[in-house]
Amino acid sequence: MSAKGAAAGTARDHEEQIFETGAGIDINEMYRPDDVGDFDSARDLGEPGEFPFTRGPYPGMYRERIWTRRFQVGFGSPQETNERIKYLHGQGANGFVITIDLPTSYGFDSDDPVADGEVGVTGVPISTLEDMETLYDGFGPDAVSYALSIRPPVSSVTLAMLAAVAEKKNVPFEKVIGTQQNDPFYQMSGGPLQTITQFFPLDGTLRLCVDNIEFISKNMPRLNWMVTNGYNLRETGVDAIQDGAFSLGHAFAIYRRARERGLDVNLFPRKASFFLSCSIDFFEEIAKFRAMRRLYAKTMRDEFGATNPECWRLRFSVQSAGNTLTRQQPQVNIIRASVEAMAAVFGGAQSIHLCSYDEAHGLPTEESSRIALRTQQVIAYESGITKTIDPLGGSWYVESLTNRMEAEIRARLEDIDRRGGMIDCIREGWLEQQINGARIKNQADLDSGRRTLVGVNRFTIAPEDETPLQIHKIKADVWGARRAEYLRDYRAGRDAGKWAEAMARIELAWKAGDNMVPVLMDALKNKATMGECHEAMRQAQSWSFR
Amino acid sequence: MSMQKRILLAKMGLDCHDTGIVTVAQILRDAGYEVVYLGLHNDARQVVKVATEEDVDAIGISFLSGQHMTQVRRLFDEMRRAGLAVPVICGGIIPDEDARALREMGVAEVIPAGTLSAEVARLVAGSLAEPA
Repeated sequence: MSAKGAAAGTARDHEEQIFETGAGIDINEMYRPDDVGDFDSARDLGEPGEFPFTRGPYPGMYRERIWTRRFQVGFGSPQETNERIKYLHGQGANGFVITIDLPTSYGFDSDDPVADGEVGVTGVPISTLEDMETLYDGFGPDAVSYALSIRPPVSSVTLAMLAAVAEKKNVPFEKVIGTQQNDPFYQMSGGPLQTITQFFPLDGTLRLCVDNIEFISKNMPRLNWMVTNGYNLRETGVDAIQDGAFSLGHAFAIYRRARERGLDVNLFPRKASFFLSCSIDFFEEIAKFRAMRRLYAKTMRDEFGATNPECWRLRFSVQSAGNTLTRQQPQVNIIRASVEAMAAVFGGAQSIHLCSYDEAHGLPTEESSRIALRTQQVIAYESGITKTIDPLGGSWYVESLTNRMEAEIRARLEDIDRRGGMIDCIREGWLEQQINGARIKNQADLDSGRRTLVGVNRFTIAPEDETPLQIHKIKADVWGARRAEYLRDYRAGRDAGKWAEAMARIELAWKAGDNMVPVLMDALKNKATMGECHEAMRQAQSWSFR
Repeated sequence: MSMQKRILLAKMGLDCHDTGIVTVAQILRDAGYEVVYLGLHNDARQVVKVATEEDVDAIGISFLSGQHMTQVRRLFDEMRRAGLAVPVICGGIIPDEDARALREMGVAEVIPAGTLSAEVARLVAGSLAEPA
């Protein structure tokens, strides 16, 4: 060591630090047995796979099966997407998240004027039953699992498409696997109510959500019927406590509606799950997942009165937090994703998807997606952290923080209930106020340096010193034109009389309050398009946005 | 007559990621601007109509999901048709190559994600100072 270094060593630098979690929970200098109060391992942790599921939703956890590394696919056209799936299937993958382009996410056909410039950009367009058949070309819906990131009203149409594909391929409904995300509120980017109400009436959306739950729970016992999307909500900037409370509050609000429809609380929650964000505050995120699992189990057993243990078990998939990525020095994002992935593993996730390091510059490339997958494989197969269950269980700090998170989330949930439940909180703009408050605080913390963001407010480099990136090329004009031509031909090739009759049945069924899924199947088989189905449902409600 | 500069902020197309633009609206209010925020899902016609009616000094549009080239092209077409000449500022997730193309198209400033508040205010003030 140099003399200078030794001198610096004697007068130790004192770095200014703030000792609190991302959500503002104070962190002690050290944790001792006293900090976990009357901690009782049997009561508070139990065994993995048993009430209250603190240590994990399944008995063997990663010793039996490493979490699912789902591939996200979906771009350009159903044909290109199917080719990509076939390639990945050949490489051993059998679970896919199908990302949908924005026009489809709102129920528009690729040739709707609203869709101009957006076709195929952020995902695959699906406008017809034939498009869904193309996605399943070479596979039955009992052989590959597709998770469709889609919400009602659109998920009613994609569910009807899936059911019609199963019929055509002679796959019995009870064998159909996969996921319809079906979350009415947070499928879009979380915050603004406008994303939900701009193109379809909110009450209609909620009715279709429950129609889907009813259809799936009665006909497709293996299909996941709802994934509560806490991820998009967290991405707006709310903290880990709000994340836990809003996500659980939202799921419970939908469960109450399903129960009001007469659905069995010992049946339908079995195939519900959560899609959650894992952010950068390592121990807080681990505690959040453990606390949410325990709180969910208690609520399902004690409040909903479920007696089936399968309905007490919170299962979740994770995506690393996109809002922790930086545009500056983007390669550093690989490290952030690694930290977040490890927190998700210690938190007991069932499935993980890591953001690509270039996502603050554009859509991910093949190269950046591969690195995101390799990051997980290093953690899964090299690090050894998977080899014992809940390795942090019993840590005075982690248990203390888990208790604290549970108490904080519970307090927020009680507040939400006093306000009439999560759906009212969303309708009345309370949620949006909470989100906007968090956004302002986050920006202020970065501006003031209260929170460090490497490469942004500390440890920066000049733009010309950045390493150049490959960029994903968008061909929106080409994709849009090809799809418009396809849809012209598709509509020209149908029996106009049968089509008109099927469209009329949509209106009748809507007004009669029937479950819409079978009626939509009938319309799709008569070559009605995605956009036409939505327009018919809007008209049945005497509602228009145009 | 008020010297306060007025700026119209909006999202265009179907993309609904609004954390950036809502944050920027607050930054600009704090910096002394009068901000008119139009919300999500606007088309070029709506943006130009409000910009004209409200007599704004600049227009700011935020993008995340890859629609920036198409939407900005349409916005400029509509501005030309309406005879509106004010600086247009873009922000959000925009690849560097596209940011250069947007500037060539006439965009006054492209403010990337991860820009601190003081820098946002400085860049916006700079675009307003230049002749449109």
